[in-house]
Amino acid sequence: MRTPLIVVKLVRKLLSMAGRGGSLPGQLGLMMDKDFIRRFHMPKQVILVTGTNGKTTTSNLIAESLRRCGLTVLNNHRGDNLNVGIASLLASGSDLSYNIKADAAVIEVDELTLYRQFEALHPTGLVVNNFFRDQLDRAGEMETIIRKIIEVTENFEGDLYLNGDDPNVLRIADHAKKARIHLYSVARMDESTVTTNEASEGKFCPRCGRELKYSYYQYSHIGRFSCPYDHFGEIEPDILVEDIDYQRRTFKADGKVYHSYINAIYAVYNCAAVLCVMKNLGLDTAGADDVFAHYRLKEGRNEVFELKQPCVIDLIKNPTGANEVMKEILARDGKKNICIFLNDNDQDGHDISWIWDAHFERLDDPQVERIICSGTRAYDMALRLKYEGLEDRVTVIEDSTQAIHALNEMNMQSFVMCTYTALHATRAILKKEAQQ
Amino acid sequence: MKIRILWMYHDLMDLYGDKGNIQVLKTRCEKRGIECEIKTVSLGERADCQEYDLFFLGGGADLEQTIIYEDLLKRKDSILEAKASGTAFLLICGGYQLFGQYYLDQDGKKIDGLGIYDYYTESTDRDHRCIGNIAVEAELDGRRFKAVGFENHGGQTKNVGSPFAKVLKGHGNTYKGMYEGYADAQVIGTYMHGPLLPKNPMIADIVIARALKRHYGEVTLEPLDDTLENRAREVMLKRLGVQ
Repeated sequence: MRTPLIVVKLVRKLLSMAGRGGSLPGQLGLMMDKDFIRRFHMPKQVILVTGTNGKTTTSNLIAESLRRCGLTVLNNHRGDNLNVGIASLLASGSDLSYNIKADAAVIEVDELTLYRQFEALHPTGLVVNNFFRDQLDRAGEMETIIRKIIEVTENFEGDLYLNGDDPNVLRIADHAKKARIHLYSVARMDESTVTTNEASEGKFCPRCGRELKYSYYQYSHIGRFSCPYDHFGEIEPDILVEDIDYQRRTFKADGKVYHSYINAIYAVYNCAAVLCVMKNLGLDTAGADDVFAHYRLKEGRNEVFELKQPCVIDLIKNPTGANEVMKEILARDGKKNICIFLNDNDQDGHDISWIWDAHFERLDDPQVERIICSGTRAYDMALRLKYEGLEDRVTVIEDSTQAIHALNEMNMQSFVMCTYTALHATRAILKKEAQQ
Repeated sequence: MKIRILWMYHDLMDLYGDKGNIQVLKTRCEKRGIECEIKTVSLGERADCQEYDLFFLGGGADLEQTIIYEDLLKRKDSILEAKASGTAFLLICGGYQLFGQYYLDQDGKKIDGLGIYDYYTESTDRDHRCIGNIAVEAELDGRRFKAVGFENHGGQTKNVGSPFAKVLKGHGNTYKGMYEGYADAQVIGTYMHGPLLPKNPMIADIVIARALKRHYGEVTLEPLDDTLENRAREVMLKRLGVQ
């Protein structure tokens, strides 16, 4: 059965010589051998990372932190998290006998397809970040995703690293009787709120169906919840983050101070997941702190382009992500313009109704001057803003090059929010615009 | 003038941006100087449905639907009284299904509906889930128009006496079906999310006029500037090849 692997490796090599990557090699491997992924002899540690938001960052942070401890790590750092991407990754890291040549593999896996890859990857650990509403038309309903993950972890005998502050993640622990459960959590802080208008998930106790009581929310439905009847949610976390200091960009866990790569609560959760893994593996976290402090987000995530005035671009793909991006934008001082690219291609999800679940009313802020709407569903975006009373500030420019040009001409700090398929093209346009 | 809207299970039946419908109704009333009061009612909370001019119920996932249906069934008398008193109804997806005989979910579990209408809904396999943009043509209260939305339902609704609209593109009540939703002079039930009302302001206005009817009789609504609304709808109609 060496042939598929040799072909995949060859194609990979040829592609990389041509300066290209992509999922084609993995696709070929799976076409020639449907058990391609299963054939690999995995390293001693195989940590999978899944969830809705923050998978790529979290898996990259874990991989880097392990490397700082002297381990060699195989990692799909660009976030190619579907079976074809994972097949390519494994082929790249193995010898011709399917032996993965690394001490550990840290693999981000798409939450919709995890159940298909899980056993074949022989995981020793699984990190589950969070479950938010995301691209429901592609995904089916969130409940289905969670149930499938519960199914595959029911007989899992490894380590489960779970966000103890997300009821939909924590419920996995109830079913995974054979796994060792490790929880991470973030303690109440000044920014925590007692009520929320962001939560649409996790309202009910998965054990008894009655309403969960929240003592505080961190963001969306993430926070400290418990069931007054059966004590679901009363957790003893392995990692409890405390004393988040947004001025210094630090937080505390296990008596140590760590630095965060960005001032955002979701980033702290990603770091907490990493510390949870490191602690269980008995590894030193001094390197992890350095990784956190210097982590560079993926392209298009909080990335700055030097137009006439600085322009920050961010990905938005679901209500929770969009809400957090808007919070960051509005936290910046000064008058600003905003440009939103709303696409509805396959990878964005065809259903754009999520913009009505996101809190775009936040843009009704005196410091927000103009909002340009672009992309394949530009008018839907404009309409969404109209119903927040923002009509006077909204312009629709369907053509993306013209939209960015208009934004630059307004000569003011600006923020671009893009759905997935608009991100790449918009970055290219911004690069060009910055050079003019 | 004033309308009172009863927004049922706002915290549970709020899939796919259905709350946007309420926002549209409120804004379109206020722009015309019509006062719009919105009352949200959830599990176990008391509501006399007949006190309201519009009853709104959105969609939910299977789980939410299972959680609310018993509570909803207890309200059947109140809902029937409201209907008799002339209250208008707007029901989306799960809300629409629950006004029929029953809903048979994917696991074969049967959820009783209110049984107000003869239609019933049975879940289908994954390959026949109705997902995608949808365009329909409807004739309602003497107006004929095209509308767009996004449908995403496994449930196949059959035995619908008077459908809301004819499907131009998409599925409707059943996989590759011909008709969409249910409608009569008081009730609109539909699978159309999107949400439904922002891009279809004519439906929003029909709903508002129906809600006003109870106290004010036939009312002619002042036209609003719907340039953006119409543009957003036309973009989709054009893409679906029905414009």
